Amino acid sequence: MRENNTRVAVDIGGTFTDLVAVTDGALSLEKASTTPDNFANGVIATLEKSSVPQSAIDQFVHGTTVVINAVTERNGERCALITTEGFRDVLDITRANRPDMFNFRYEKPEPFVPRRDRFEVGERVDQAGTVLESLSESAVKAAVEEIRDRGIDTIAVSYLHAYANPEHELRTREIIAEQFPEAYVTLSHELTGEYREYERTNTAVLNSYVRPIADEYLTTLESHLDVNGVEGNRYVMKSNAGTSSFEQARQSPIEMVESGPVGGVFGAARVGTNIGEPNVISFDMGGTTAKTSLIEDGNVDIGTEYWLESSRQHEGYPLQIPVVDIVEIGAGGGSIAWIDQGGSINVGPESAGADPGPACYGQGGTEPTVTDVNLLTGRLNPEYFLGGEMALDVDQAEAALEPVADEFGTSVRETAHGILRVVNSNMANALKQVSLQRGYDPRQFAMVASGGAGGLHAAALGRDLGVKEVIIPRAPGQFSAWGMLLTDLRRDYVRTWVRPFEREAAPAVNERFAELADRAVAEFGEEDIPPADVSLELSVDLRYTGQEHTVQTPVPVGNDGTDSTVSAASGETLLTADAIGATIDRFHDRHEQAYTFSLEDPVELVNVRLAATAEAAKPTIEPVSRDGTVAGATKASRAVDFDREGTHETTVYERDSIPIDEPVSGPAIIEEPACTTLVHPGQGFRLDEYANVRITEETQ
Amino acid sequence: MSHQTNRPEESLDPFTREVITNALQSAAEESFINLGRTAKSSVIYETLDYATGIVDIDGNVVAQANGVPGFLGTLKFCVADTVEKFGRDGFEPGDVVMLNDYHGGTHLNDVAMVAPVFLEGDGRDEPVMFLASKAHWTDIGGKDPGSWTTDATSIFQEGIQYPMVKLYDGGVENEAVADIVAANTRMPEMTLGDMQAQKASLDVGVERVQDIAREYGWDTLETAVDAWLEYGHDLVRDAVEALPNGTYHAQDYLDDDGITDEPIHVECEVTITDETVTLDYTGTDPETEGPVNSPYAASISDVRSFFQAITLPSAPTNEGFFEPLEVIIPEGTVLNATKPAPIGTDWESSAMAAELPWKALAPHLPDKLSAGHFTSVCATIVGGTDERTGDDFLVIEPQPGGWGACADRDGADVLVCAGDGDTLEMPVEIMETRFPLLFGQFALDTPQEAGHGRFRAGTGLVQDYTMYNESGGFITASFGRSEYPPWSVDGGQKGDGNYIELLRNDGSVERASKLTNEPLADGETARLVTSSGGGWGDPLERDPKRVLEDYRDEYITPEIARDVYGVVITNSDEIDDAATESLRAEKRNESEASEHETK
Repeated sequence: MRENNTRVAVDIGGTFTDLVAVTDGALSLEKASTTPDNFANGVIATLEKSSVPQSAIDQFVHGTTVVINAVTERNGERCALITTEGFRDVLDITRANRPDMFNFRYEKPEPFVPRRDRFEVGERVDQAGTVLESLSESAVKAAVEEIRDRGIDTIAVSYLHAYANPEHELRTREIIAEQFPEAYVTLSHELTGEYREYERTNTAVLNSYVRPIADEYLTTLESHLDVNGVEGNRYVMKSNAGTSSFEQARQSPIEMVESGPVGGVFGAARVGTNIGEPNVISFDMGGTTAKTSLIEDGNVDIGTEYWLESSRQHEGYPLQIPVVDIVEIGAGGGSIAWIDQGGSINVGPESAGADPGPACYGQGGTEPTVTDVNLLTGRLNPEYFLGGEMALDVDQAEAALEPVADEFGTSVRETAHGILRVVNSNMANALKQVSLQRGYDPRQFAMVASGGAGGLHAAALGRDLGVKEVIIPRAPGQFSAWGMLLTDLRRDYVRTWVRPFEREAAPAVNERFAELADRAVAEFGEEDIPPADVSLELSVDLRYTGQEHTVQTPVPVGNDGTDSTVSAASGETLLTADAIGATIDRFHDRHEQAYTFSLEDPVELVNVRLAATAEAAKPTIEPVSRDGTVAGATKASRAVDFDREGTHETTVYERDSIPIDEPVSGPAIIEEPACTTLVHPGQGFRLDEYANVRITEETQ
Repeated sequence: MSHQTNRPEESLDPFTREVITNALQSAAEESFINLGRTAKSSVIYETLDYATGIVDIDGNVVAQANGVPGFLGTLKFCVADTVEKFGRDGFEPGDVVMLNDYHGGTHLNDVAMVAPVFLEGDGRDEPVMFLASKAHWTDIGGKDPGSWTTDATSIFQEGIQYPMVKLYDGGVENEAVADIVAANTRMPEMTLGDMQAQKASLDVGVERVQDIAREYGWDTLETAVDAWLEYGHDLVRDAVEALPNGTYHAQDYLDDDGITDEPIHVECEVTITDETVTLDYTGTDPETEGPVNSPYAASISDVRSFFQAITLPSAPTNEGFFEPLEVIIPEGTVLNATKPAPIGTDWESSAMAAELPWKALAPHLPDKLSAGHFTSVCATIVGGTDERTGDDFLVIEPQPGGWGACADRDGADVLVCAGDGDTLEMPVEIMETRFPLLFGQFALDTPQEAGHGRFRAGTGLVQDYTMYNESGGFITASFGRSEYPPWSVDGGQKGDGNYIELLRNDGSVERASKLTNEPLADGETARLVTSSGGGWGDPLERDPKRVLEDYRDEYITPEIARDVYGVVITNSDEIDDAATESLRAEKRNESEASEHETK
């Protein structure tokens, strides 16, 4: 690992494109407006604005919205699908569910490949991988011919049970390569080794759909980096909280779908492990949404049941790729408060966004937002928003709340309290969804809060949930980009393989893991990463025989069956019979934790999973030393309304002047350019040696 | 909606009420998700044929999480009848009452559990709230595997009845009851697993409601619940006022009762005023010998989902929401059957409780309602002994089909029926992994032969289930709306009807719509075909460009384009405008002429 060099991460957000750079342990921040017409422009602008010379960049990590945007805007590439005879309609059939169940005019999602561009070929494999009907090569050739004639050059191939035997998909790629070498080809089994034909086919189709756009984007960025002498490694952030090379990202661009938000979750995990708090709830509140995820023992929770554009009204589109499990709700600084038909108060999901923004921005917004309420209660400083770049207008905020207050026959102040209670309750429910509802006790977790609005609400939410402490890391406004700097290269592999999970199965299961490990070694090898640098983490999806849903359970690895990871070069048996017994015990515990009971029934294996990581060079988190006194960090004081806890004259501190490890009692306001942190009465805080703000309840 | 407990007079601020009711809804949903993740019957974990709710001691549903709309009206009866049996002071913390008979309100497979919520040290001798859930168990005995059949003539052939018995008494399992459960199922491991999962999910819900009560106090919680029920009514008031006042009428037929071939007449008169919606089913045929009868509560559930569909489909509901709804269903009819009439396929008739007012109002509420859909749950049970493991298998599934066209767009292809909801069709790859079956096709039913119109209906689904098992297996199925197909609106075409074809090894093909325990030998195929919906408007008014698109996507052939839509498609796959215009004129004249003749 090289030391003393420059790493840069750039994260594209909804409003701003953020840059975080670390040079010899020193942090520098930059932002530029996001440029939806061509996202690369915003990225290039931050690089050019930054005080770090581009030629000095040793490592560049990038989180991009280009993939999710291509899907949302429906401006991807026309693509074709080749599939098993009798099954071209899986994209129309979907799962046939009606989530909006009382809507008697439900509209299904439109497939990303029209029916006319889906081609069926004779072939059939059963669930055990046995070929029942061999591939009709003439049918494949005819399909490729027709696809080419139609001017389509992006092809997804998805055959039934291809995860169990990929022979026919591989042969199809060979035929396409002979006949139509320029075509982009995606094989379903290479993106996911899991069963469920609609999910896997849709994943292959969406990967094809975004591929040309992602390719072009990465090429633009790459040539900019080349021209500007950036010679170091270039990585792209994937949805599994790991990175990949640009080259691999070109093959499976759909893995970048949640490229941005996962940086924040990963960052929260690292903040936690760095200070010895491996159990963390991450909470990121921005302008439009709040996102939360639970981190147990330093590990982010990654699942493969991800749905794009799904809501209570719409089923959305499934993606069977590894994505960090994030719960996202429409609660942010710009969220609008409104009264529904029954006379009840609601906050969000509609947001005033950045334009016109909350009423207090004075840019023409007239509806009451969470930011307006924070201003009216004295929590935000009208003179120091975005470090003073924008003055906030208290009168406009008040005017926006008046109609709501009139409707309820109450005061503006009471209404402000009400809006805060509702938005906090919505967020508390999301936080409970990732913790309590999955059997985790929040009292054993620390909350790491980030995002422009995170610090204003975190202390109240943390108190409500009963977490051990609330941590506001450095650079909370650019936290996602900061988290990206700390990531490693990561690839996830999975294979569905349903059978009884028992000691006797060890050699056979081990063989499956070995196959996945070989793939990992080979694919990292293509990027010149030797097996010795690749570490493997194993898990299995288990259930009681007869159940459908599974519980992901980590497998102790290595010859003594106790480690959690093993080097790909160690040559050790990945899975021993003893490890199977230990894994089953863990499964019973996890089932009991999540669902309050366990059974004595036999246990069944559904998927084997392997996560392979190769450590990237990354900055260590360095302690911060700072002179000064608490009094010296005091800027002012103002009256802050803490709702039920009363209004208090509250001291305001400038974050960067607060000395390390000096306890301060609340109530308090901590200001920094991109974020304001509220510490409630009865709470106290201190800055730890890494300059994280640590808020705890003060014992009486 | 009056509660007999003493309530503080003080009013509650609207914000706290909102926070409390959100928390109650979350509690119901958490309990719901918990059961779905742990159940052993696919009919629970994929079909989501279950519901969980929080109900107060007077039977008012406060919050409910549904997998299917079919339980929307039943939990209230489960709690109200349980309270009536045991008395308001007849409960202890840790009790769980189990029921599935006529009091449960749907067929016997749907087993309900009711658990009281107490707060430690509270001093009250009666619970304020109950958690209740109802879930379809795969097998509860009876004359045939899967328990429901298409040819039972008495409820006693359809499984064991649990008449509101305490499965848990003060937190202690009643082993005698558990033993009776285990002894009366063909799938004890699956059934006991479901029972355990359902009980555990109630525990979670009880705990969450206790948390809320502890935080806000029972009195505040009760005040919030009262305000919430009132809110439900407020919410729907304007929506009811916006409905078109008047009296409307519809009638229809069920194909048969599974025993005789006689169609069963059903009808409904809808009367809408500014404040109320009244549905009167007087004139509907008496209960039948076969199991297509619906208990009152099952019919009410379908009526309620229809009422929600025409008012505020996405709104959260509670008892107050349904206050404007008045329903008259004479006792002893197929929509309000009485014990011991069999009720195994109750969805066939209860679906009609929604279907009739839907048919009456669709032309008047085009922004809320589509034309008729394939209607029947089209449920199947496939079972046998899996030669790969030697274990018995049994899979119960609803089959999705075509929905009706709308006034402004085409209908949805292949979607579960109105009686099902967030019900997931099982993937073919999972079906083939779990059960010894092989699917020959899983496709839209095209070229589409029915449901054409200015806007076209959605297509049905064709699935070939081939037995891939040396010892074969069997199939039970109830496909209603086979003889009386989905209805259309404003000159559209009707749908084509649901049916099954059995493709025998000797090459013969048998057509059916109801099957009980029909053997399928290794290699034989049950082809399940669901209906398209009904069309909306005259096909001759369909935009020719849409017709061309349908042809290009292989929904229709050039012959259908010509014969049904009067659109001429050339050999180069374009529209021949002139030929189309004259063909359409010709067809219009023809139909006018035939109208004259019939007059």
